[in-house]
Amino acid sequence: MLKAMFNLVLAFFLVLSLEGIARKIVARVQRRIGPPWYQNFIDVFKALSKHPFSNGWIFDFGVIMALGGAIATAMLMPLGSLKWTPFPNTDNFFVIVYLFTVGALGMAMGMVGSGNPWASIGISRALTQMLGYELPFLVVMASVIFNYKTASIHQLVALQSEKWNLFVMPLGAIVAFISLIGMMGKKPFDIAIAPAEIASGPMVELSGKYLGLLQIMHDFSLFVEISLFVNVFLGGGNLGWFLVKFVVVWVLAVLISAVLPRFRIEQMLKFYWGVPLGLAFLNALFVLFGLTL
Amino acid sequence: MAASLITLMILSVVVYFISKVNWKLGTIVNFLVGLSSMFYVLSLEAGSSEKIVLFGQKLYLEWTDVSFYFSMVSLMVIVAVKFFSIRWLETQRYRAAFNMFVLMMTAGSLGVFMAADLITLYIFWEIAVLSSLLVVPMEREEAKRAAVVYAIISAVGTYAFLYGAFLIYQRYGTFRISTVVQSMVDDTSTGFKLAVFLLLSLAGIAKSGIFPLHTWIRKTYALSPDAFSSILSGQLSKLGNYIFTLVISVVPSLKVFSDLIVYSNVPLPNYLLITLGNISIVIGTLMAIKQDDMKMLMAFSSVANGGYILVGLGTMDPLGFEGGMFHIFNHAVASAVIFMAFAAVIYRTKTSKISEMGGLIHKMPITFLAYLFSIISLAGIPPMSGFISKWMIYQALVRKGMFITAFVAFFGSIGSFLYVFRPLAGIFLGQLPKRYREVREAPIVMLVPMVLLVLVSFFLGVWPFPVLQTIENIRMDLGIATSFKIVDQENWLIRGFAGSWNTVLVFSLFLTGFVVAYILYSLFPRARKVDLMVPHREEGTPLNVYTGGEFIYSPDLYHYNTNFYAGFERMYRNHPSWESITSAIGKLFHDIGEWFHRWFFASSASAYTFWVVATLLLIFWVRW
Repeated sequence: MLKAMFNLVLAFFLVLSLEGIARKIVARVQRRIGPPWYQNFIDVFKALSKHPFSNGWIFDFGVIMALGGAIATAMLMPLGSLKWTPFPNTDNFFVIVYLFTVGALGMAMGMVGSGNPWASIGISRALTQMLGYELPFLVVMASVIFNYKTASIHQLVALQSEKWNLFVMPLGAIVAFISLIGMMGKKPFDIAIAPAEIASGPMVELSGKYLGLLQIMHDFSLFVEISLFVNVFLGGGNLGWFLVKFVVVWVLAVLISAVLPRFRIEQMLKFYWGVPLGLAFLNALFVLFGLTL
Repeated sequence: MAASLITLMILSVVVYFISKVNWKLGTIVNFLVGLSSMFYVLSLEAGSSEKIVLFGQKLYLEWTDVSFYFSMVSLMVIVAVKFFSIRWLETQRYRAAFNMFVLMMTAGSLGVFMAADLITLYIFWEIAVLSSLLVVPMEREEAKRAAVVYAIISAVGTYAFLYGAFLIYQRYGTFRISTVVQSMVDDTSTGFKLAVFLLLSLAGIAKSGIFPLHTWIRKTYALSPDAFSSILSGQLSKLGNYIFTLVISVVPSLKVFSDLIVYSNVPLPNYLLITLGNISIVIGTLMAIKQDDMKMLMAFSSVANGGYILVGLGTMDPLGFEGGMFHIFNHAVASAVIFMAFAAVIYRTKTSKISEMGGLIHKMPITFLAYLFSIISLAGIPPMSGFISKWMIYQALVRKGMFITAFVAFFGSIGSFLYVFRPLAGIFLGQLPKRYREVREAPIVMLVPMVLLVLVSFFLGVWPFPVLQTIENIRMDLGIATSFKIVDQENWLIRGFAGSWNTVLVFSLFLTGFVVAYILYSLFPRARKVDLMVPHREEGTPLNVYTGGEFIYSPDLYHYNTNFYAGFERMYRNHPSWESITSAIGKLFHDIGEWFHRWFFASSASAYTFWVVATLLLIFWVRW
């Protein structure tokens, strides 16, 4: 239980600072100076301290459910070794992925409950996008699980002690990384938010603490997504190593997204169901015939 | 057992007459009969068997663990719907007939599960199908055509089944399932076994709406009386799943087709069924996403979930078998509640179009919650029980290395988030149209069965061991990989091939997450609640939501529920349609019939006389 609590604290501070750093990086890419790295802490605490408006009980309930789901998933996440695995019996991949959707469903419900069509459009885009990135990702994960004969994350980490999965199945790792960018909702896959088109989509009606809580939820989600990738593809190690890998993956994703424009929704689907899905199946074929590196 | 079935049949007539006098009393009696048959089923001991001699033909009944499981699932749904109809039936014209046929169908279904030989099974199957067939066109005029399509496709399935049964009788000289199983294992003719397998499973394909024979589902589920759709989807389609269990597992397809293994220890016929299941998942999901009628949406969802069950059972893997069996339960409960919730919504709003509704959450919160928890179960999200069966099916597919099937299963699962969210957003959330301002919550009689079923599903999501243990016992009896234990009740674990998980722990994490979130939520300044329509309530201007500077005077227009996934739906707008192919075949037969009709049944008396004379002459000439 202590480890689970540590997960939450780490997720909060790590991802909020990283988001600030990401703003800095993007600014530098665009030849701006950018805000200080702790800007996101200021934003969240400011949002939390303001008097908000609520659009009815389902709006409140949705926000709580979103945050609750994200917290539950973040508590389950192993951090790179058995020592930092909160619940070794239950860190099953499918459990984590599906528990993760509780938060997504809560957010979708609350935001559509605000009664604003922009929010509905954003949610419809977000769910469609889920159909895009999850499929290649799950096919890759199915081949990983088939290869190692375990879906337990900490066991997957332990089995990579000799050679990272990135080098065992590079195709799979690439596909998973592309899916990861979609999961994180970074450009070119920020279709659901799209501030200039649909007024920030799901977030259009958020004010005060609702915005703050959903930002925290978003941080926990990012934490889960990136940790999953690091655990499954980048081997194990102690906590420090894990954090280094975490930061590297984050910075890479931010750099890629800093230079790309946004896809349209069907372009996104065609993209994900094209090359990444094909590569995922190719990877599965390699695994099936034992042709891993 | 035979006595109980006959009693139920007689009681259905009694219930008819009671309902004729006082429909409410009749419905209550109907409910009580259902409830007592549930207790009767609980009291039956596995292994007991009976013989009836009917017109010189011996009919066998036998009570097994499989019959117990299917009967319990069926009765749960049926009893819930019967309670539901104590109030709901007031919207119907043929109340007495509805009660009678539902009870008759209950007897038929129980008979199917009890049957120990193929002919008995066929007889009770027809009783169940025919009595349900007569309920379908009761409410809506357009449903008559739907009932005809239902009858025809059911007939395709049942006649194929009967033909298969006769083939078996011709070769082995018996209809007894236990004897047939033995003979099938010893038989060396692969062609014969394959033919029988496919003929028998065709009945299941037709009944549970698997791909080539799924076309009746949409109209029949959508147009039949609203509460009856619950039974159609939650109970009657499980008859089809029973047939699958029978031909795949009770007749051990692994042993029977041991020389036909194609891939990863799955025999060819099972693989055929899995392929059909895959196609059903894809079709059901894609079609459900774009429906505007909420009942049609759920009808296609039933097609997709039928595919899941078939895929799970077809793998003949311990995890796949238990996952498929448990999914039967989960889908029964979830879809029954969803259709009941829809019936409650239609009861109040008189429409089933998603595009005509919105914002009903403020008027019908409990119906909304019942729907919400059911879709969580249906979409396979923890902590509801639907997740457990999906988890098991995934484990089986990954274990077998069946990546394409796994891909389709993932597609169906994520696609189900898309389609179950549509009614949620379109009916319950968003702006409330002016015409529904007076709508009230559904009556308590209708809420009780929904809430109870949701609680059952919720409880089994946290503590699934009672049902899982039953299924595991069935699996041990059928001898499917008996060394593989899934249920580990001492450690509260469910074990897959790749890792385990603790249902109670997941639920407590979930609860912790909620509590932490709630504490955070209540720590910070209280929100001021704003009404979506204030201050311009009279005009109904949504002034408290962001409109981008526009003034919008109709809340209906400010509610996004048509073409919800426009971006995605555009991608498969011009899809090929199986329904249009079947309707083209139907048109061909119709035209042939028309042609005959024009030639032989012309409206003039002289032509008619001519044909009569010609026929008589022909008969005399050939001297028949």
